[in-house]
This record gives sequence, structure tokens and C-alpha cells, in this order.
Amino acid sequence: MSTGRVLVIVPAHNEEESLPVTLDELARKAPDFDVLVVDDGSRDGTAEVARARGIPVISHAVNLGVGGALQTGFRWAVRSGYAIGVQLDADGQHDPGFLPVLLAPVLSGACDVSIGSRYVSRSGYRAPLARRMGMLLFSTVFRVAVGQRITDTTSGYRAYDRAVMEVCQHEFPKDFPDAPLLIDLARRGFRLTEVPVEMRAREAGRSFYTLGKSLYYPYKNLLASLMVLLKRPG
Amino acid sequence: MEFLSRTQLITALAAVALALYVLDLVRRRRLSEEYSFLWVAASVLIAVLGFSTPVLKAITRALGIMYEGSTVFFFGLAFATVMLLHVSIKLSRLGQENHALTRELALVRFDLERLRSGGGDAGPRNDGGGAA
Repeated sequence: MSTGRVLVIVPAHNEEESLPVTLDELARKAPDFDVLVVDDGSRDGTAEVARARGIPVISHAVNLGVGGALQTGFRWAVRSGYAIGVQLDADGQHDPGFLPVLLAPVLSGACDVSIGSRYVSRSGYRAPLARRMGMLLFSTVFRVAVGQRITDTTSGYRAYDRAVMEVCQHEFPKDFPDAPLLIDLARRGFRLTEVPVEMRAREAGRSFYTLGKSLYYPYKNLLASLMVLLKRPG
Repeated sequence: MEFLSRTQLITALAAVALALYVLDLVRRRRLSEEYSFLWVAASVLIAVLGFSTPVLKAITRALGIMYEGSTVFFFGLAFATVMLLHVSIKLSRLGQENHALTRELALVRFDLERLRSGGGDAGPRNDGGGAA
């Protein structure tokens, strides 16, 4: 498999503890892939961790959120001529060993976006009840909106082809990189697929989705999903 | 000049004070002209309602409002709502622009650092090895 045109984009916000583990694992398990760290306004040594390993880092002056970091990664990937961009979390949840599985449907042209899903197969991952209810809610929202079944809308382990990155570098529901983004992409005519992957608990640090946001998250994402449907596609 | 109540007089004076304050803010360049137009228009309207009892009564009757004081509140609240929405729209745009600028700055800074360090090569490299 040719991997020269694939860029692994690692959005990182204050991840100096878990990023070394993630990057070292990438170097070990996926040595042929190019990696880019998007340091999203970190106040710790996140950028230095990547630089020390010779991995290019693009640093935001302020924190924009996962969506903004991803958008910067897309823009750079498009500019640098990459055919595929992979989003991989810095916190160690995503096993680079699954990169070939994740990439396969995009490389073969079977789809434009491939989503690494915890729920497609019995992967041993058992989410807390609240999380499973949320997952069911957004899976349903997605199915009603698009007519397709995506079980893991919150998965941050995804591969995007160049056409998607070209669109997303400009137009992007930047504050809602989960269900609203997927609905948005599906409505633009991009084909989405889920592949089974296993995910682990975070290495260290705080998740982008903290506990305090657990009630606000479903509310705003539900509303944002509806808003995506209201917006004129294009 | 005849006032229906002390409230009407206070409202009128407050509107004039607001208009003067807005003009002063523009003079000291603390408020842009664009926003001042809305504020001046609103305070002039409230001042007219406050100072001219016949106008206030006519508008109150025309709108089917029972009490003159409500008319002033009605216009005040309508203005506040429009202004808040206007500010929200401006904030959204400002946020989007700020977002885009932050991303652009990050990319430009990356290019600059790369140029400074003398590396003009095209793509990134994982230290794990060369690409296919």
C-alpha cells in the first residue's frame, strides 16, 4: 500500500503528557506515514514534544477547538499535495495499528470519509450509559437526516480524501466536528463509511469533551445538526 | 410643556442624556459611527415620546396600547432586541474572522520558521523514515 500521500493530522491541546506516547507509537507502528501536529493554542510543551521528534508542528496562537485544528491540518494537507488526511487524537485513544483498516475504503475510492467506529463490531469497548444514549441519539439524528447508519458519530478517528479536505479547509462547521460535520459532509454528497476499530482509554491529560459539557453537548449538537439541515448546501 | 407623569419627564431626560453620552463616545473614538447611528436614533425616538405628550398619546392610541408608559417601554424593548441581535451577528462575523486569521497566522508562522531554518523541502517527514 502506498502511503506517501497520506498525512496523519494530530490535533493537540495541552497534551505534553500523552503526545510523546502517541507520536512514538505512530513512529513504531506506522513509520511510513507523514505526521503533522496541530498545536491548538497549548500552554504547555506540546509543540516542543513534536519538534523534538522532528515532526512538523503548526501552532495556533489561541485555542480554536478540534474543528479549527482539523481545518488548519486540512489546509496544510491540501497545500502540500496530500491525497488523504487522517485525524488521530493526541490522547492515545486511537491505535495507529488500525490505520490500514481505516484507510482501505478511502484508498480504494469506495468512500470519501472513513470513520473508525467503536460500535460496529464487538470491540470490547463498553461506554458509560449516558454516552451510549448520546450515541444512540446522534446515530438516529444522522439516520433521519441522511438515511444512512453511522453508529459512532463522536469518533475522532477518521480518514478524509482530498475532495473533502479541499471543501473543509474553507467551509466547516468548526465548532461541531461530530454529528453536524458528518451530516454536513453527507449533504454535500460525500460518501461516508464506518470501519470497526478498537479504542483505548486516554493516556493522560484532559479530554476535549469534559464532564461539565456532558449536558450542553447533546443540546448544542442536536441544534447544530438541525441547523446544518436548514442551511443551503454548497 | 405638559407631562403625563414624572416617569415621562425622567424618561425624556434620560433619553437626552443617553444621546449626549453616545455622541461623546463617538467623539472620544470609543464607539464607531456605525453603532452610534442606531443608538442616536433610538434615544431621539424615546426623547420625542417623552417630551411630546400629543405624539405619545397619538402613537399609543394608534397601536392600541392602554397606557402611555407602555408605549415607551415597547419601543425601548424593541430597540434593545434589535440591537442585541445586531451585536450577535457582528460577534459571529468577528469570531469567524478571528478564527480564520488565527489559522492563517499559524500557517504563515510555520512557513516562516521553515524558511528561516533553511529547509525549503516540500512535505513533512515522520522521523520513522521516508515515504513511499
